[in-house]
Amino acid sequence: MDHRQGGVLGWDQIAPSRRDFLKAAGVGVLFTTVAGGVVGGLGRGLRPASAATQTLSLVATDGYATVPGRENDPLYIFGFHDVTSDPDQSVSHLVSQYKGHTQMSAPTLDFLQNDDMKITLTNLGLVQRPDLTDSHTIHWHGFDIPSPLNDGVPEVSVAVPIGKQLTYFYRPHREGTYMWHCHFEDVEHVQMGMTGIVFVRPLQDGTSVGGFTKFAYNDGDGSTGYHRHFAILLNEVWSNFHDGDRDIQESIATDYEPQWFTLNGRTYPQTTLPNDHHGEASGITTPNPNYDDAPDVSQPNSSLVQVNPGERVLLRLANLGYQQHAMQLPGIPLHVIGQDASLLRDGTTDLSYVTNTLYIGPGEARDVLFDAPAYDAARPSGSGPGARGPYNVYYFKNRDWRRLSSLGSPGPGGSPSGMMTEVRVYQNPLPAQQYVSQTYV
Amino acid sequence: MSEHAEMRRGRKATMARRTRRLGLALALAAGSAVLIPGHADALPPGFAKIGMVCTPGSVSGTTHTFNLIANTGYADTPDGNSIFMWSYANRDAPDNDHFQSPGPVLCVTEGETVVVNLTNTLPEPASIVFPGQEAVTAAGGSAGLLTTEAAASGGTVSYSFTAGNPGTYLYQSGSDQAKQVEMGLYGALIVRPNSTTCPVVAGTACAYGAATRFNPGREYLLLLSEIDPVLHHAVETNGTYDINARRARYFTINGREFPDTLQDNGTALQPNQPYGSLVKIQPNTPTNTQPALIRMINAGLLNHPFHPHGNHTTQIAQDGRSVARTEHFGETIGSGQTLDYLIRWDDQDQWDPTSNPLPVPQPNYRNLTFKDGNTFYSGTPYLGYKGTLPTGTVSQNVCGEWYFPWHSHALNEFANFDEAFGGMATLLRVDPPGGCFAGPTGTTIVGGVLKGGTFAALAVDDAAYYQVNPKTTTRPTATTIGATTITVASASGFPTSGTYYIRIDNEVMQVTGGQGTTTWTVARGQLGTTAATHATGATVTALANDWYASFTGVPTGASNIKVTYKGKNCSNTTGTTCSALTLNLPQQTVKICNWTIAGAAGCSSSTSAGWVTLPAPPAQPQGVGSTLEVSSTWTLPGAGTAYVGTGTYKGQVRILVHTQRWTAPSPTAFSTWGNLMKIVYDAP
Repeated sequence: MDHRQGGVLGWDQIAPSRRDFLKAAGVGVLFTTVAGGVVGGLGRGLRPASAATQTLSLVATDGYATVPGRENDPLYIFGFHDVTSDPDQSVSHLVSQYKGHTQMSAPTLDFLQNDDMKITLTNLGLVQRPDLTDSHTIHWHGFDIPSPLNDGVPEVSVAVPIGKQLTYFYRPHREGTYMWHCHFEDVEHVQMGMTGIVFVRPLQDGTSVGGFTKFAYNDGDGSTGYHRHFAILLNEVWSNFHDGDRDIQESIATDYEPQWFTLNGRTYPQTTLPNDHHGEASGITTPNPNYDDAPDVSQPNSSLVQVNPGERVLLRLANLGYQQHAMQLPGIPLHVIGQDASLLRDGTTDLSYVTNTLYIGPGEARDVLFDAPAYDAARPSGSGPGARGPYNVYYFKNRDWRRLSSLGSPGPGGSPSGMMTEVRVYQNPLPAQQYVSQTYV
Repeated sequence: MSEHAEMRRGRKATMARRTRRLGLALALAAGSAVLIPGHADALPPGFAKIGMVCTPGSVSGTTHTFNLIANTGYADTPDGNSIFMWSYANRDAPDNDHFQSPGPVLCVTEGETVVVNLTNTLPEPASIVFPGQEAVTAAGGSAGLLTTEAAASGGTVSYSFTAGNPGTYLYQSGSDQAKQVEMGLYGALIVRPNSTTCPVVAGTACAYGAATRFNPGREYLLLLSEIDPVLHHAVETNGTYDINARRARYFTINGREFPDTLQDNGTALQPNQPYGSLVKIQPNTPTNTQPALIRMINAGLLNHPFHPHGNHTTQIAQDGRSVARTEHFGETIGSGQTLDYLIRWDDQDQWDPTSNPLPVPQPNYRNLTFKDGNTFYSGTPYLGYKGTLPTGTVSQNVCGEWYFPWHSHALNEFANFDEAFGGMATLLRVDPPGGCFAGPTGTTIVGGVLKGGTFAALAVDDAAYYQVNPKTTTRPTATTIGATTITVASASGFPTSGTYYIRIDNEVMQVTGGQGTTTWTVARGQLGTTAATHATGATVTALANDWYASFTGVPTGASNIKVTYKGKNCSNTTGTTCSALTLNLPQQTVKICNWTIAGAAGCSSSTSAGWVTLPAPPAQPQGVGSTLEVSSTWTLPGAGTAYVGTGTYKGQVRILVHTQRWTAPSPTAFSTWGNLMKIVYDAP
């Protein structure tokens, strides 16, 4: 059985008819934008009668992942995993197929403003801890005016116990970058790996504004347009919760001292390996001790940023660690145009800013644009993979060198580990991006 | 038994213990208003139970004086710990030095001269600094590193400054801060704009200028801090402490940790931690347009990434200065910073169980988990509605309101030492528009007869009516001009006490005796009519009808009860369509049962003493015909204690509609058509 995990859900699963609709709907929205000259609240509250409905099926269970220094002692994790494509959605089938094989970080969810989202969560239970009867939930972090039922906080609504399903419903009116995670005993479950990015594309997508057809926000002027976008989730990993949950030991949350610092659930240089979906393969596997060390592909989400010179790139950044991080991309200025699913604009005043060091606290999101520089053969560079040819490399990394280490140590040969990835600017053109965070092998 | 199995049992036992503890805490949180009706330690008389409470101080001219004492006491944590604290307390009555953590909330007005007199009972010099205030002067005391200090064990110092820019500020100790601020010597200073900065508009206030108006009934303070109990223990026991080894274990909002943060201001359960932090708002409506104001202060040493569930907050200021507006679902407040936010609740989807249901089937709640068997959930996803929860699940929900956590997303701070779902967290509570509301759960006719409809017709403003006719009966014998005692075929449906009017042919009589029997003493020729003879079998008609609607489940402590009744009167007493009634309109009086006057007996009949006419506006009685359905809302300001039944009638509210028509010299029939009856109240 192949436990390769889906990494991006949503946009690329949309039927062609819906794309056609988007083009049609987008024109009307553009008109509104230009005529109104107001961006805040644009399009909210209005839902075209023909907006699409999308259905997803996610399962929650346990599994294992690999972190540096623990190659032979993989890290016990909880996680979410996409099973939408499985024709048999019965609980018994899902349990038999997917229980005990999860992933860290969760699939990136890609939705369109005003579409209806129906997400069914099935709790498969835990293989390693049959005694631990934890429920799970989906919390869309930052979603406006949800019913408590769909906010996923068990103390103020409900949670999904083992062997049960609940269909969550969302109609996102507000475009931008968010995150999602389990809110059941979230101090523990978030740390255990049940975290991902969800973003909402603006209705303006598909229209032509300022030379772009894809946008972070309904900006009205193309100022948030981009050619490629990448979703990168910042996390820390603290062994106490993972080992404690595996070994039936208590962990004291306020002792928190993480040893690993991850982007999309991986540390550098694994962050630069490809995705494990859409026909790509990272080569990162973890022996699953509950299945005779059979290899699981449990860290499917790449953080590699592959771009062409001159392209405008959107980084959708979110932090579901418990610490604030200072991220840098030396050599390329970062233009922060949005935060917390809000365009940085107050009325007509542009509040976007250019920085070299981006602070992002736990539970916060940032939308950052940068322009890929020209390819320069004289710059530090690499080549590949395969026949891709040469590229210039820029590092997107944490400024705090302690977070460029794992278990307190740097990577092999003293190279950085931890919270770092690469921006690769290719000499030979890459094809157009088909989905968020696409990697090219 | 294997070691493995033993460990497993240990974990289970620990979890069960936690579950009980949290369940208890939640129950106490919701029940406090019921069990202990307010406790005034360290709070001014008449304080609001929810929202920011200012310590009044004294105002003389443009000088605003506060008298504070630095003293010691204990703060309780939800996991049963008791922490030795230092803090500032209010010297003035009624607090009289009662220890409180954090210090009093000092609210002053821009431009006022502020005087803060400090008496120090601590064993070392102490002081106050006011970051953000300029030209602070001190009298008395002796010079310290950062400001003038009051000597140990009884020394005094007096600070004075002119309140500067409006905004939210921290005040804290300026002496040995590594120890004293950590021990709790801090509080909030609120500078309100003067009427030049914020021109007066009724029902609003400003945080800064006129662009920052908010609903003054929705002003909230969230003062964040941290506690390392090791330091506090060291201070209490004269031990040693390495400040570099500091590790905070408790993360507080307004001096409490979740779920204690949900308790009312002044709860007796936390006599030294007077400030709750539940944030309560209502959806914005055309008549309710002002946002809530959230004043956030970080008195701790760590930065805190605060995450409001439910809706974005709009940041309007930082450190007492207006900033360009940005919206957030998570924002880190730095150590020592203050941030001000506005929040509105504008529901774009308006999900409704009948008119706009969620497009997914609603779950069978028996297949889901209610954590710890104790929930704030209403049982439905719809605002203002309550559903059925599985047996054994305890609901803390009053009337279908919504709850969302607001918490630090450094999730290690979302815990009390080792217990999750605690620490730096509170709840946002969203009440239904206008407040909690209730529809009738029954009707009772105490004078009259049912024409048609049921009480359910009163639930919504629609084409269904609850219809009542005045009662009629007959006279088995003829009536002479002079008779003052008459016998009727039946007294059923006529008032059983009090005086009331009846009509036979065109004569109005007043029943003055024999009520409840079939033989009545009457006064003849009333209300401008003339006594006359009446034939055998003549119809006897009451001039009025009286009926009341009952509401159940209204919580003790409900306040600001608003009663809405909408209805009309028609000239026909039979048939299903309303015949026009446009002249000599029936006079309608709506009353509420005051249970304290004569208990349930006071509201048993139409003329019982407990019925209190609802106070104007609108004035009563009102003429109500068939042309326009008259909709009126009366408000009973303040506590609703008298109007919510107790004992057998616990949670009951009764609203009586009395309608009377008399038209000399030719009285005519009518019927009363009730369309909508509801009550709205502020839940405790």
